[in-house]
Amino acid sequence: MAQAIKTDDISIPTPGESFSALAKPTKPDWTASFRGPMAMNYKTRAQIALNLGGLIADGFIAVEAQDSQQVKNIGGDILKMAKSLGVSANILARGNSINQFAENDEWPALQEELEATQNEVKASMQSHRDQDLVILVSLGGWIRGTQVVANVVAKNYDAKLAQVLRQPELVKFIHAKLNQVSPELQNDPLVKTVDQKLQTVETILSTPFGKSPSADEVKQLQAAINQLMQEIQKKAS
Amino acid sequence: MKPAAAKLILILWCVCALGLPARAETDQEVAARATALDVAGAFSNDGFKIRDGHWVGTIAPNESKTFAVNLYSGNQYWFSIGASQPVKRIAVDVFDETGAPVTTEKYHADGKAAAGLSVANSGQYFVRVRLEEGAPAAICFVYSYK
Repeated sequence: MAQAIKTDDISIPTPGESFSALAKPTKPDWTASFRGPMAMNYKTRAQIALNLGGLIADGFIAVEAQDSQQVKNIGGDILKMAKSLGVSANILARGNSINQFAENDEWPALQEELEATQNEVKASMQSHRDQDLVILVSLGGWIRGTQVVANVVAKNYDAKLAQVLRQPELVKFIHAKLNQVSPELQNDPLVKTVDQKLQTVETILSTPFGKSPSADEVKQLQAAINQLMQEIQKKAS
Repeated sequence: MKPAAAKLILILWCVCALGLPARAETDQEVAARATALDVAGAFSNDGFKIRDGHWVGTIAPNESKTFAVNLYSGNQYWFSIGASQPVKRIAVDVFDETGAPVTTEKYHADGKAAAGLSVANSGQYFVRVRLEEGAPAAICFVYSYK
């Protein structure tokens, strides 16, 4: 198993997968997880990439809430942010599809379209030699998705619900990828903060297979992830 | 340094500096992906959402490829494999984070296979795909969830 193929595409789940699991034992109030309008004036490409991932996770939240206007708003923000990273015009076509699916309440198709948009952004980054930013997009999405799940679990703790948060190997994989980015990007203050916080998250989530994080561990995770999100979405002054 | 060696180093440096574009998929890989999506498409009728992410590559008879996936408790998953040609038999087996085999529902046809499961414990799982008979073929791995 040590030789198993691990890639961003197949080894990092979409936020939609964790939301789908969360919605089985409970009925989350998805609209309570909506965020206000996003800032677009971030200082660095690393911060934009992390926020772009978070924004795509917001798209999945809006799909769970079946709120077509929110999906369209987020779709527009994804386009703006992707453009500020200089990714290709193909994303525009994705934006149109997102709007169309939202108009027609095609929720399963929207989930697939959001992931396809994310993959399009990543492919464009790769072709523009922005390979290092790719993991930040995935990471931003995972952090935002985990924030939503942790908040729901902390509010209604039970062991079955908390199982959804247990993903130590996933955190290890993302963390290892983050440690492979260029030294220049590793020295970015935000990337450094994310790296440090991920170590904390990895420790909290290192529950053995079959066991759930305790209520206390979920609260610790919630605190760590909420702090991390504050750092990621901090506006440029 | 000999001129030829210097030239080679220069070429390698240029390749690294410019970065290699993402590898385009071959016709065989595209065909394998179409087959895998065809299998996965059948499950989407039951509400499974197909992941856009996938893996394509070539596999030889009696060779296996293992994929690490991170799954959530409460979700159901189907792992679908498509081959570029109608190879006789593709085996798909799933193991949990501890390496223990997991019971799955199976589907087999020429050049296609799938394994489905309901996940009780969140964590990493391993999907092993093995070409048991036939000629080397391109295969594609996709998964869907609900």
